[in-house]
Amino acid sequence: MLITGTLTAWIAIYTGNLADGAVSRTICDPTVLKSHENAAYTMSWLFTGAVIIDIIYQIKNSSFNRILLVLTLILMLTGSGYLTYTGHLGASLVYQQGAGVYKPTEDCSEFE
Amino acid sequence: MMTLVSACGESTDVVESGTYQGTVTKVVPEKSEIYVETGDSKTLELYFTETTTLTQNGEIADFSALQEGQQVEVEVEKTGKRLDPVSVEILE
Repeated sequence: MLITGTLTAWIAIYTGNLADGAVSRTICDPTVLKSHENAAYTMSWLFTGAVIIDIIYQIKNSSFNRILLVLTLILMLTGSGYLTYTGHLGASLVYQQGAGVYKPTEDCSEFE
Repeated sequence: MMTLVSACGESTDVVESGTYQGTVTKVVPEKSEIYVETGDSKTLELYFTETTTLTQNGEIADFSALQEGQQVEVEVEKTGKRLDPVSVEILE
């Protein structure tokens, strides 16, 4: 699950980068988008670090196993915090600035 | 690879509408975006719009003419906290 989540985090960053250009030109406060982007990268790197250490823990039976476990836990908890913050900023972008939201015409003609 | 490191830890600044001189620190052709560091160490993130004019030696230039390290003069219009580049002149 950790590996899956980390992979999808990087996929989310990739798709976010695709949308970045279009969204930045329409919202009123791109600094929120920049913070959202930076938090997403930080989160992804933290979980990537957790994956790497977890793999080392799985394949290498050493006296440092306990330390590796604690390190993985710390990285995952910190990553989860950044995930929450990234989500909060993303919600702010959508609900406060309408980022990426399609605005229909007044007469809804495109839905007929 | 660019996806992995791009925007990692970058911070940008919001300035008032006006004209600024600075150095191009990053060019993102696929987004028509540039980052400019001004003389007072402000980093401006500028997304070119349909009306942004780019000139070099007094002539209209293509976005591909922009390169990192170039000195530029940019006129920006602040809308909310968004900086829209009105014009960009390559000085060198």
